[in-house]
Amino acid sequence: MAERRDRTGTGRRIRNQQESFFDYTLLFIVLFLLGFGLVMLYSTSSYDASLQYNGDSAYFLKKQLVSTILGLIAMIVVANIPYHFWERFAMLGYLGSAVLILLIIPFGIEANGAKRWLRIAGLSIQPAEIAKLGMILFLASTICRMGRKIRTGKGFLFVLMIPMPICAMVWQITENLSSAIIIFGIAALMLFVSTPDYKRFILLALAGLAVCALAVFLIVSADSSDSLGVRGTRILAWLDPEAYASGKGFQTLQALYAIGSGGILGKGLGQSMQKLGFLPEAQNDMIFSIICEELGLFGAISILIMFILLIWRFMVIANNAPDLFGALLVVGVMGHIAIQVILNVAVVTNTIPNTGISLPFISYGGSAVMFLLIEIGIVLSVGRGIRLKDL
Amino acid sequence: MIKNKTFTRKKIVTVFFASLAVFLILAGRLVYLMIFQSDYYTEQAKELHERERSIKAARGRILDANGIVIADNKTVCTVSVIHNQIKDPDRIVEVLCKELELSEEYVRKRVEKYSSIERIKSNVEKEKGDAIRAYKLEGVKVDEDYKRYYPYGELASKVLGFTGGDNQGIIGLEVKYEEYLKGEEGTILTVTDARGVEIDEAGEERVEPLIGNDLYTSLDVNIQSYATQLAKQVMETKQAERVSIVVLNPQNGEIMAMVDVPEFDLNDPYALPEEMEEEKLSQEKKQELLNQKWRNGCISDTYEPGSTYKIITAAAGLESGVVTTEDQFSCPGYIMVEDRRIRCHKTTGHGAENFVQATMNSCNPVFITVGLRLGVERYYDYFTRFGLLNKTGVDLPGEAGTIMHKMEDMKAVELATVSFGQSFQITPIQLATTVSSIINGGNRVTPHVGVMTADREKTEMKKFSYPVTPNIVSEETSATMRMILEQVVENGTGKNGYVEGARVGGKTATSQTLPRGSGRYIASFIGFAPADNPQVLALAIIHNPKGVYYGGQVAAPVVRQLFENILPYLEKKDYN
Repeated sequence: MAERRDRTGTGRRIRNQQESFFDYTLLFIVLFLLGFGLVMLYSTSSYDASLQYNGDSAYFLKKQLVSTILGLIAMIVVANIPYHFWERFAMLGYLGSAVLILLIIPFGIEANGAKRWLRIAGLSIQPAEIAKLGMILFLASTICRMGRKIRTGKGFLFVLMIPMPICAMVWQITENLSSAIIIFGIAALMLFVSTPDYKRFILLALAGLAVCALAVFLIVSADSSDSLGVRGTRILAWLDPEAYASGKGFQTLQALYAIGSGGILGKGLGQSMQKLGFLPEAQNDMIFSIICEELGLFGAISILIMFILLIWRFMVIANNAPDLFGALLVVGVMGHIAIQVILNVAVVTNTIPNTGISLPFISYGGSAVMFLLIEIGIVLSVGRGIRLKDL
Repeated sequence: MIKNKTFTRKKIVTVFFASLAVFLILAGRLVYLMIFQSDYYTEQAKELHERERSIKAARGRILDANGIVIADNKTVCTVSVIHNQIKDPDRIVEVLCKELELSEEYVRKRVEKYSSIERIKSNVEKEKGDAIRAYKLEGVKVDEDYKRYYPYGELASKVLGFTGGDNQGIIGLEVKYEEYLKGEEGTILTVTDARGVEIDEAGEERVEPLIGNDLYTSLDVNIQSYATQLAKQVMETKQAERVSIVVLNPQNGEIMAMVDVPEFDLNDPYALPEEMEEEKLSQEKKQELLNQKWRNGCISDTYEPGSTYKIITAAAGLESGVVTTEDQFSCPGYIMVEDRRIRCHKTTGHGAENFVQATMNSCNPVFITVGLRLGVERYYDYFTRFGLLNKTGVDLPGEAGTIMHKMEDMKAVELATVSFGQSFQITPIQLATTVSSIINGGNRVTPHVGVMTADREKTEMKKFSYPVTPNIVSEETSATMRMILEQVVENGTGKNGYVEGARVGGKTATSQTLPRGSGRYIASFIGFAPADNPQVLALAIIHNPKGVYYGGQVAAPVVRQLFENILPYLEKKDYN
């Protein structure tokens, strides 16, 4: 590497160019999504906010704006720190997130019927969000240190086992299956790109699909729905939301009403009916259905395109990252955002059973947006390491 | 520092394209939901967001033969509460209790009930509704609609009938012609949020109600009023229980008046007689009393017709040829039928008389003889042919059927009693219709009130048609009957029915009600005019008159007075 730099380093001018590379496309996409998200958040939550907070229709908007600003500051700071700085915190990130999740048991704050938050320095923080970031960092560092060992069956299983304790804790302690799935998904993706093998992953995917299919089959053929518990009923409600219209299928059905009534061009910004108390969690997990209702198929597809562009930028940065560690960090973030967007849209459109997943940058949620922006900061930092000549 | 491997780059590209593929699937799903399923979900969502309030349709009016409105509508209010808009429930309960005179418990239950809209009271007077509106209570809605209004109050109450809280017909013409009168309810659709609060910007969609069609009847307010007045008069002077008068056109069965006093106030049909202590009555008892009050005796009650029925025996006898007007009879004051001795009302006997004189005398033995000459089978045949076994088919609800012996149970004694109008029961409308048919040339008509229905502008009209059975008796027999019955009025028992300057035919009856010997009688008279070409037929029945109870003395004068007034009136109407 040093050799190369010497060959090209014939003038100061070129070196300056190298150092000032910054992925403005990525930044623009993120800022667009944030801005759009705030507009939609206000549109969606103002009704609920003015009812709950004495006419303060901007209550949710203001809270989200504060988190977004804090997140942007964090992003700028992180973007300016060389990403290798974080490597030394890899183990701390993994253990720290485990400790924070455990702290929920005695100190957790309950909201919307689930105990998922911790209050740190006046901010309520979801340890599951920290765990996602921690997992990306720890895996990237571990995979780099393992070198070729990862290609053996043992190495493969070892990496696959790393996220398991955190996933189990997130699932059991915070009762947040979706975050556990996302964390595992991130780990699987990072493992996928760091080994040349395909067979194992295809088998893994097929096994996963088979388990899901079997579970659905068992639930559908069960005699009584009483013995199925919450998740079983959710599956049934997924298959026929109208039959469970007053129970588990309610939210899904309301989301479908919102999406379906949007049509091609939508009802217009602010014109959603479903946000007026009909659709639970409209500003949260279900915000995409309100986007569909207000902006129509046109607006929904536009947002999907923005996310595709975002993932494309991640791919470009990962592929041109100076080293494997940087590439894996970006892949982790890419996996995180891609999985979350896909699952969210799939849930909202009833393509998969209902499980609470928020839409990155757009859904209401302070810690989510802050940690997402920190992740973007890391990606930008990796991007800064790219030498223009390699592009 | 570990370099990025080529396979890593390849795999990252794979991940990107895999995500892209999933995104495309999701986009496809969105296209499916938002284009192909859009109509379905839009409809479902609309249903969810819209609240529907109905607007009552103005009911069609009922008009008499002269075009006078006898059943109309007036504006009233419906007071409802919208749970989600209520700000001060206690005040609402207080105001509504006071203004609507309802119990607090009743109002509170409805105000506190969680529903999108709850009706507190309908048919509230417009002034009351305006007063409630003036309080400007949030969550209280006062909607205007229509209520039935009967400008003549009691007039023809049992014929017209009245309507219930939803403007639906309950009895009488109102229920019979419901499908024409009711119209179609309109709706107000408003868009609301999940709590039921209306969204003003969304406006409201109105489906206007369709006014019901008017019903044109053959009733004549003038004749009906006069008949009612006479009925009340005779009920009072004779301290009778009930007086029924039916006036119809014997040529086509159009009913001009149908009175059954005591009538009731159509604008307050649920009021019980004052001496009743309402609180002490059970719900069933109350309903029974009301049903009694609303019952139209002219069509729902049967009675033994007595001597007026001799018209039918005479017609059957003449038609079959077992008797002629010249046939001579002798009445010793009784007749032996098998081992039974049946007395004539004149115990000393009428002596020698021909058939016309026998009818004028209303001589029982003669009619028994005619009946016996016919025999059970032939008699029953005529009874059936005259339409007496069936209902008349009058266009009013609740018509009672005939109570008659079965043919196989009918022996000489039963035949003898039936021949002069006893031991079986028919309704007044049945008697009036059958006699009409005998004297109008032999066409069995269907009595009716409804003539046609039309919309308010009379652009679309529908005339009702009613079945007519021709030739139940020959024209000749019919003419003979008219002649005999005119004799009855001119020189016989019906002479109190005679009207100066007019040709009136008729027949009286005095029948003892069951059980015999109770001292309760029914006095009746059936009369028609002009005798040679009947245009109007009237039947008056007085139930249980005190003092003199003979039909000739009590009922005939009623019909006479009626004819004295309406014959010139009808002539003038025809002339116009």
